[in-house]
Amino acid sequence: MDTVLKIDNLTKQYGRITAVKNLSLEVKRGNVFGILGPNGSGKTTTLGILLDVINKTSGSFSWFGQPPGKGVRKKIGAILETPIFYPYLSATKNLEIVAEIKGAPKENIDQVLKKVELYERRFDKFRTYSLGMKQRLSIASALLCDPEVMILDEPTNGLDPQGIAEIRELIKQIAKEGKTIILASHLLDEVQKVCTHFCVLKRGTLLYSGSVDEVNKGVESVEVMSDTPEIREVLEVYNKATKIVEESGKFVVTLVEDTHASDLNAYLFSKGITVSHLLTQRKSLEKQFLELLAESDNA
Amino acid sequence: MLRLLRIDLKKLTNYRAFWVLNIMYGLLIFSIPVSVMEFLKWLKVKGAEFEGFDPMRIPVLHFPDIWQNITYVYTFLKIFLAIVVIISISNEYSYKTIRQNIIDGMSRIDFIKSKLFTILLLSLGSTLFVFVTGLLTGVIYTPELDFADTFIGIEFVFAYFLDLFTYMVFAFLLTVLLKRSALTIFILLLYTPIEYAISAYLPESFVFIAEYFPLHAINNLIEFPFAKYWFQEIQDFVSMSAVGVVVGYLLIFIYAIHYKLKTSDL
Repeated sequence: MDTVLKIDNLTKQYGRITAVKNLSLEVKRGNVFGILGPNGSGKTTTLGILLDVINKTSGSFSWFGQPPGKGVRKKIGAILETPIFYPYLSATKNLEIVAEIKGAPKENIDQVLKKVELYERRFDKFRTYSLGMKQRLSIASALLCDPEVMILDEPTNGLDPQGIAEIRELIKQIAKEGKTIILASHLLDEVQKVCTHFCVLKRGTLLYSGSVDEVNKGVESVEVMSDTPEIREVLEVYNKATKIVEESGKFVVTLVEDTHASDLNAYLFSKGITVSHLLTQRKSLEKQFLELLAESDNA
Repeated sequence: MLRLLRIDLKKLTNYRAFWVLNIMYGLLIFSIPVSVMEFLKWLKVKGAEFEGFDPMRIPVLHFPDIWQNITYVYTFLKIFLAIVVIISISNEYSYKTIRQNIIDGMSRIDFIKSKLFTILLLSLGSTLFVFVTGLLTGVIYTPELDFADTFIGIEFVFAYFLDLFTYMVFAFLLTVLLKRSALTIFILLLYTPIEYAISAYLPESFVFIAEYFPLHAINNLIEFPFAKYWFQEIQDFVSMSAVGVVVGYLLIFIYAIHYKLKTSDL
């Protein structure tokens, strides 16, 4: 897999404040890469530097192995923070300007507007749009040049649940087409749902970078319940369990690595216990994220 | 180049204030010579005391006087076009579209170029309009048309172009520095009186540097022409040194715009 984006020791200082500190990252082709971090952790600043609207203090980065420049940006579809368009122009006119800047064919305009379901409203002025429509128009604009990479910054910010679901569907659909997506968000659940890889930033420092699957892997915890009262003794002697906690009649069993709920079930059955409830608890990104933040606070 | 101009025109031609200001500017240019003649006619009808002299004979709008006269008066209207420029650029800041333009793949230099091309187009268009208006007015009002006289003093039309262009680039620079339209227009309007006030209080031995202040330099391109009608000496040509100073300022302004955009986070 080739590298789409490589960041080396990137630093940005605003006076005495360091917004991004020695950040190094790599994004491969086809990744849906989530940048996680609390508000003010330097997500937007980082993206701003990558898109040349913010001047870096030191460090370097390259897109597709090339040094940054306008030619590279034309191959990237990006939205930072809020959707930005000329409020007095219609969707079509706004996209004509973007197409002209990017050197994208005009024929793409109707196509992307249909994709985000704004085609019927294409002649209405941008200022008359609802927030959800504005967000969708920015996605349309980012798709206009059939980009190799899409950068989305908080794409579901301020949307209602239906709008959030729509945007997520759209992102998944675009990811399926094999495009690389870089997604900044403070919504963990969002990143877990759509991303393949993620990193965690805090006060401009990289805390973690890895794949979402790894988080999902890890050690498994299984919740079991049975009408047979002997289950407690049977569980306590199970050699694959590292921890057993009873929670209101249910037992949460933490298993050793490479042991799964099915193994536990087979073991219990062999001891003559049938379970009435069996649930694998995924270690959520949220948990991992909070752990990482807590660790960094203690350090 | 054409692509960048097309992008900027797309932003402007759908913006109402652009047309309102341009049409106002055009109407004023067109109406000034007409009202001057009406005024002279009115003087004649009222039998104003010119010791038996027909006010219609004052060659204000006759070739070759007309070129310096009308271009001098028209330079006072350039504020309309400067406001167009200020609005066009401050909008990019207030809508943050300058940021999105660059994210989409413009370079900062492309952005500057696209605005400068529009300013160039406005200056050229306005100069052409003034030229045509001057030519028509001169043909209508000059009593004995002599083709040889028609284009004497045509250099004032060129000076008018340089005056407009430089003034609008100055407005561009102020907008890039101040970002907000109302503030920029206010400062631009205030700037001329401030510059003249400073020059009035310069110590004797420094008076000569006032010539080199930016707006002094721009205004020196076309000198006040009407004093000749009360028999005073005037400068009836465009001084090359004034052109040189103005071109120098033009380069400084463009460099300053570039420097400011290059070093700032958008």
